[in-house]
Amino acid sequence: MRVPGVLGGDQKAATMRVLRVWDFPTRIMHWLLVGAIGFCWYTGETGDLEYHHYSGYVALWVVLMRVWWGFVGSSTAKFANFVRGPQTVFKYVRTLHLRNTPATLGHNALGAISVLALLAAVAGVGVTGLFAVDMDVLYSGPLSMYVDFKEGRWFARWHSTLFDVLLIVIALHLLAVSFYYAYKRQNLVASMITGKRKAPEVSGSELEVAPVWRLLVGAAIVSGIIYVIDTGFFY
Amino acid sequence: MSSVLFTRVVGIAIVLSVTATAIVTAAPADVAMIKSRQEKLRDMGSALKQIDDELKRRSPDWENVIQPNVQILHDRSPFLMKWFPKGSGPEAGAKTYALPAIWQKGDDFAKHARTMVAESQKLEQVFGKKDSGEMRAQVVALGKTCKGCHDSYRSPDYEKDAEQ
Repeated sequence: MRVPGVLGGDQKAATMRVLRVWDFPTRIMHWLLVGAIGFCWYTGETGDLEYHHYSGYVALWVVLMRVWWGFVGSSTAKFANFVRGPQTVFKYVRTLHLRNTPATLGHNALGAISVLALLAAVAGVGVTGLFAVDMDVLYSGPLSMYVDFKEGRWFARWHSTLFDVLLIVIALHLLAVSFYYAYKRQNLVASMITGKRKAPEVSGSELEVAPVWRLLVGAAIVSGIIYVIDTGFFY
Repeated sequence: MSSVLFTRVVGIAIVLSVTATAIVTAAPADVAMIKSRQEKLRDMGSALKQIDDELKRRSPDWENVIQPNVQILHDRSPFLMKWFPKGSGPEAGAKTYALPAIWQKGDDFAKHARTMVAESQKLEQVFGKKDSGEMRAQVVALGKTCKGCHDSYRSPDYEKDAEQ
């Protein structure tokens, strides 16, 4: 599909077309994580912990799946295609003030840090939650029997502290998305919903979608891991 | 002695005596009670956890693990009310998350304490059946009585305290 569009700068003159950026699994994982974290936050704040661990499992499932997809997934999801060294990141940062830089197909060098920080923060919150002990022993994590009461309370506090860190990382992520929307005229949210964005005709690479069987294999492995964790290895 | 010097001396004396009075009125008995009940309640939480953990095993060790912990809960619950004498709240001077509501709504607090005694006695009775499912249900029932009290009578700041 070819559409005329305006991005500004060098791209103004170029004919625009719609490019696929994100595959379906990456988008589903993103929004599933948003929902899971939202539900975790709500149930954690209200103390309504009966279903808290289910949303925690979903968040952990997404993190593990995203890591899997980062190695065997579609081109824009692969870590090797977007995680860059400090030099490239600094070079990119120095162009941030320019409004008309061409959009990257997938994550840019700075966005890569955001992805890794988000994944690490969610993993940290999730893993500490697995070992956290509820004071009233009603809603302790599935692996809490491997730590004593005091250690489990330590995990519970870190679970809470790391969630605060995660909120900060999310806030930075949202700030960055707003900055790209308002200053650079790039609607990253729409791309994460539709999987597409407008790009100049001259754009080089295109999204290479990974075969579905890789997704299914990953989903089976990761679901198995979550199931085993839920049993607390007592099965 | 000049009047200025006299005023200063009297002022310092008043400050010192007020400070000393404050230290004396932070009754050591109340401070000791706060620390003691925190340890006992933590032990009870730990006991409930150990029962709960053991019940997840295919073959729970009823005699060596579950029984002594049931005993801790059963034996200590009746003393719960005695651990919260008047004066052992935040005014005692030691760090405590016990809310003043404990003493302001004494009847309701006592009702919670009686429920806890009843549920821990029931825990001992259920223990006699050696039925994991039933025992687990009673652990949950007892945990809910803990939560009921904590929700109303413990400050939420407790969760943020790294020492607890």
